[in-house]
Formats: sequence, C-alpha cells, structure tokens
Amino acid sequence: MTVTYRSDERLTPDQVQGVSFPSARLGRRGFDEEHVRYFCALVERELVTLLNEKASLWEEVNRLRRRVIGGEGAVVGIRPEDAHVQAVRILSNAQLTADQYVADAQQYSRELAEEARRRHDEVLAEARAHADQVLEQAHQRASQAAQLEMSDPGGNGHRDARAELAYLRTFSDVYRTHLRAYLEALLQNVAEWERAESSSLAAARAGLPPPEVPRL
Amino acid sequence: MDAQRLKDSFAHVAMHGDEVPLFFYADLFLHHPETRDLFPVSMAHQRGRLVQALATTVSNVDNLETLRPLLEDLGRDHRKFGAVAAHYPAVGNSLLTTLAHFCGDGWTEDLASDWAAAYEIIAQVMVQAAREDEAHRPAYWDATVMAHERRRFDIAVLRLAVEEPLEYLPGQSVSMESSKRPRLWRFYSMANAPRPDSTMDFHVRMLDGGALSSHLARGLEVGGRLRIGSPVGTLTYDGQSARDVLLVAGSTGLAPLKAILEQISGQADPPRVHLFFGASTADGLYDLPDLEKLAAQFPWLTVVPSVSREPGFPGERGSLPDVVARSGTWRDHDAYVSGPTGMVEATMQQLLAQGVPENQIRVEDFGWSEG
Repeated sequence: MTVTYRSDERLTPDQVQGVSFPSARLGRRGFDEEHVRYFCALVERELVTLLNEKASLWEEVNRLRRRVIGGEGAVVGIRPEDAHVQAVRILSNAQLTADQYVADAQQYSRELAEEARRRHDEVLAEARAHADQVLEQAHQRASQAAQLEMSDPGGNGHRDARAELAYLRTFSDVYRTHLRAYLEALLQNVAEWERAESSSLAAARAGLPPPEVPRL
Repeated sequence: MDAQRLKDSFAHVAMHGDEVPLFFYADLFLHHPETRDLFPVSMAHQRGRLVQALATTVSNVDNLETLRPLLEDLGRDHRKFGAVAAHYPAVGNSLLTTLAHFCGDGWTEDLASDWAAAYEIIAQVMVQAAREDEAHRPAYWDATVMAHERRRFDIAVLRLAVEEPLEYLPGQSVSMESSKRPRLWRFYSMANAPRPDSTMDFHVRMLDGGALSSHLARGLEVGGRLRIGSPVGTLTYDGQSARDVLLVAGSTGLAPLKAILEQISGQADPPRVHLFFGASTADGLYDLPDLEKLAAQFPWLTVVPSVSREPGFPGERGSLPDVVARSGTWRDHDAYVSGPTGMVEATMQQLLAQGVPENQIRVEDFGWSEG
C-alpha cells in the first residue's frame, strides 16, 4: 500500500499496518526504517484501542438514550436488542484481538526474514571479497617462494619444477589456513545470530518489538 | 429509490470508520455462524475491502450500467470463496442492521426500504453472474504439485497439474489458496503457454512475512494440493501488432513474460524480441540458464541479464529501467513490463520519456518492492 489519503475516507488500523513508503532517492536523507515501522505499530495499536473505546462509548450513549426515551423505571434487565448489540461488541473485540495477534506474528516473521535476507547478502558479499583477497595473497606468497627457489644457487635443470612445486605448496598452505579461519568465523557468526534471534524472540514475547535488532 | 438519500446516509455511517465493518461481520457471524468459515482468521484486510466495495457501489448506485460489470466480476469472484446464492439474503440483513445501528435516529422506514431495494438489485446482479459462470467453469480448480524446484533460498519454480481443463491466455494469472493457509488467496502468473496436459508453471518468491508465499516457496512438496481461481489479467500478447517486442522482467515478474515468449515462439513468423531479465544479485537470475538456451535456439530472441547490486557481475549492471533505457530506443516496440512496483513504474517512465506511446506498453505490477 502506498501513502495516499483521501479526505472522505477514515484511516484504519489495517492501513497503518500495511503502509509502505517509497525509499528516499539516492543522496536524500530518509528515516530509519526500523524506527518508522516501530512507530507505525504503536500508532496501529493506539488506533485499535481508541476504536474499541469509541465503540464502548457509542454503546453507552445509545443505551442511555434508549433509557431516557423509554422512561426511567421502564428498563428492567437486558432487552433482546441490547443483548445482541452486546454480543456484537464482544465478538468485534475478539476479532480485533485475533487481528492483532496475526499482525504481530506477521510482523515478527517479516523482521526475521528481513534479517535473514540481509545476513545472507552480507555473508555472500563478504565471502566473495574474502575469496578474492585470499587468492591474491596466496598468489603473492607463492610467487615469492618460487622466486626464492629459482635464486637458489645450488639449483640445476630441476629448478623450474622445484620453483613450481614451491609455488603450489605455499599457495595451498596459505589457502588452507584462510579457509580454516574463515569457516571458524562463519560458525562464530551463526552462533551469534542464534543468540540475537532468541533475545529478539524474548523481546517479542514481552509484547514490544525490539527497536533495534542487535548487529552481528 | 432516492439515490442521494442513500449516498448521504452512507456518508454518515462511513464516519464511524472501521467500526462499521466490524459490526457488520459480527452481526453476520452471530446470525449465521457457518459463514465465518468463508473468511480468514484475520479480518483486517477483509473489512477494508468491504468498505471499499460498498463505497464504490453506493457512489454509483444511480448508474447501474457502470456498476454492473464490477458487480458481475465480484459475483463471479465470490464463487471461489464458497459464497452461494443462499448467503446473499443473510448478508443483506446484516447490512441493513448495521446501517440502522449507525444511522441511529436518522434511520427511517423510507431509508430502510431504499437500502433493501438497492441491495436486492446488487445481489441479483452478483448471483446472476455467478450462476452464468457456473455453467462453464468450476468455482475453483483443484491442483496437484507435480514438481517443486528451489532455485534460491527464497525462490521456487512449481509445476501444477489441474484435473479439469483451465483455459487462459499467456500473461494471465490466477489466485491460489493452500489448505495450510486457509482463505488467503494470492495471485500468481502462469509461466508457460497453455499445454495439452493442463500443467502450469509458477515462479514464487518468498516475501518477508508473506503467509502464502513463504509456504509456496519453502513448505510445499510434490503431491501437495492447492486451489486455484479463474484466470485474470490484461498483460496479454497483442498478436495483431506488427511491431517488435520488448520484454522487461524484474525477478519473478519473469513468469508472465516467459509465457508470452513461449506464445511468440509458436508463431510462424515471430517478431524480434528483446528480453531484459533483472535482479539485485546474480543468484536472483534464477531462470537464466533456461532463457539462454532459448536465445541460442531462436535467432530472433536476445536475452539481456542485468543486476543492480553486484559489482563483479560480468554482464549489464545498474537498475533494470536504466539498463533498458540505455540499451536501445524502443519507440517502435510493443513493451511488456512485469515485476516489483518500483521497477515497473520506473520502466514505464523511462519508456514514456523515450517516446514510446502509452498504448504500446502493458504492465503487471507484482505489488511488492525489491528489498
């Protein structure tokens, strides 16, 4: 849903929940999306509460109005129409509660998915950059090792082969070391991510969406 | 019937906002508990839709010829939800009860009979359209998952088989529902031209927080069952045109354009076709191998992949609309554009700025924005 507002329409909690803003153009300042979402959730909750309160007041006004029209002593017990309106109100409130639960669950799932997607992109980009760096470094060190072998004065016809062997050995050593370090770092990341997830889960259970998900 | 009086009373009632549909549905479910099953757990969207439909109807209540096609569509579309003729009087009663409640003292006998008469006409048009529709197609089609291929952690290609034949035009879409997410219908485009064996391919991308899309992309297994509704959509191929063709697909917006491409490939004398397929990163070009195979097979087809957020990508880089705009002048082409909201809008703007006439551009907005 984009941000449109027509003066003849009332703003509903659903609209607030589903609202999306276009991103600010490149080079222009925008608000932090997390904070905007968090605030929208507050606004939505407030709107629901206000609507509920308004509905109760409306009922009360109608009840009093009927009592005035019907004469003071006329009302004994609940009339069938009143009972039905009461039932409608109870059901409406139950529905709003259900709507709120579904919206909360969706919001939570959206945040988790966004976070996972972002991490996925970051990890991939990191891995790519790292791979390039490792290759470059391995190549450099291996070249040095090969040159050292070449400049060995005791060498003979096997010099080229020995140089290549030295290159490859150094290359694979460097590569293996990096791979091990990288895999360990990845495992570390996963563990931290798990921790972040369980703490944001706890925050969601406490009824408050976390304004900021801990960065890894 | 006094149309102005209807409009005035509705405007008065609408002042109460979300309370009106809340009251309406609670009244309906209390009197007819069996109708609750026709709706999803969360009614938030449903209430918005009801108010929207009522507002459109009331503002055209004195203009039945404008209203009729809308109501007919609505009547046909309600078949897949399980709405039957017997539900209409129940809805009418709850509508009148709701209006009476919110009009308070303003609710008169004349007003009541005007509303009853107006609803009678509306219900009649909807029921009639549904009945005519019943004669030549089912309320929904039962479909079985024949294949489910995960192309990326959040993108899947499904093949569904329907038991009863389903006629559609390439480029159209159908709404889908899963018993795992009851009463949530979402639209997906067929990614192939109609086949004799009635199987259809769909490209699904998991939207963050999307109830149905996450199930379709990750939770579905071969043999699983789905329901699908009648085909709709206007992103269809203009076979009468002599112009060359430009296809612009962002992410899974590729699906309808692939169906159109297949339709073109079946022609005796296909036009030249440029297909631009864009994603944010290279792994989002989930169907590129297949498209490249087609490009190798058909001399009239050029496929241009492009990515917006991966500096090392060997092909075109940049936002898809920009890539399209700088790759040629498309004034003499028929353009078909499909994908995320922002991408579709920006591509439209670029093409219009190049001088492509608006009537040569057909679009399908997938309604979500690229993250």
